Amino acid sequence: MHELSLALEVCRIAEANLDAASLPRLRRVSIELGEAANIEVANFRFCLEALLGAPPFGAATPAITLCPGDDLRLASLEVDDDGPDD
Amino acid sequence: MTVRTIDVRERVMARNNEIAADVRRQLEAAAIPALNLVSSPGSGKTALLERTLDALGGDLRISVVTGDVQTQNDADRLAARTSRLVQAVVTNGACHLDASQVQHALEALDLADTDLLFIENVGNLVCPAGWDLGEQSKVVLFSVTEGEDKPLKYPAMFRNSSCAILTKMDLLPYVPFDVERAVAAARSVNPGLRFFYTSAVTGVGMEAWFEFLRSLVRSRAVAAR
Repeated sequence: MHELSLALEVCRIAEANLDAASLPRLRRVSIELGEAANIEVANFRFCLEALLGAPPFGAATPAITLCPGDDLRLASLEVDDDGPDD
Repeated sequence: MTVRTIDVRERVMARNNEIAADVRRQLEAAAIPALNLVSSPGSGKTALLERTLDALGGDLRISVVTGDVQTQNDADRLAARTSRLVQAVVTNGACHLDASQVQHALEALDLADTDLLFIENVGNLVCPAGWDLGEQSKVVLFSVTEGEDKPLKYPAMFRNSSCAILTKMDLLPYVPFDVERAVAAARSVNPGLRFFYTSAVTGVGMEAWFEFLRSLVRSRAVAAR
């Protein structure tokens, strides 16, 4: 269940780092996930895909990289400035 | 296609942790020790608090915040044992309390009129381990009707707690539970874990827990002078 809370927080951070015009052009959200973070990866990915595929986002996808430790970070955002709003 | 990469590198828990730090500052300024009680559902958190309020409620001004997925049943049980406000947080599906819920709950409490704060978290041995609520420490409960290997199955909760309370000790004659094995499992995860062995039904072991709470309140009061 807490995977959804964390996915929502990822979306909040993404929104805080993008202007309104960039939100639908967000393509990729890179996330570093600690292997000891008590987060079920498939569940977390499912939540992220559902949230990032809906407004205010367009068709962004999560890219999760597993790392040592228990941290969870939003590493970077990739925006297609020339692409259509999805 | 022109792809612009924005380097963020932000911890996803950062906002919760900032709020938790604010809560901790607020509680420390008021010299209030705050314990976050965590366990699986049915381990006896509410029963422990009922007995604690009965025994110490006359001497200490104890405030309680309860968290449940649904219902205010635990808060109602505790409110029957104290004339003080018991704050109920209904998470509506979320499997843990977060720092903003605790911060909001504290707004309704008179911290200047509080000696000790309990936060009874949602019954769950996984998620609450990762959420700082601004407490002084986590106290993990597990009962003799659960497996001795619980600390090995849920290590983060035992690693992040400073105390463990083995509950329902009155049932020990009726269940195949090896106390030494359970304690060894917990200490293999967290060697510094302090143990209490209690029964909220018979009162066995409760005095050691009460004395621990009294000493927490005394030390906070001395530190605040």
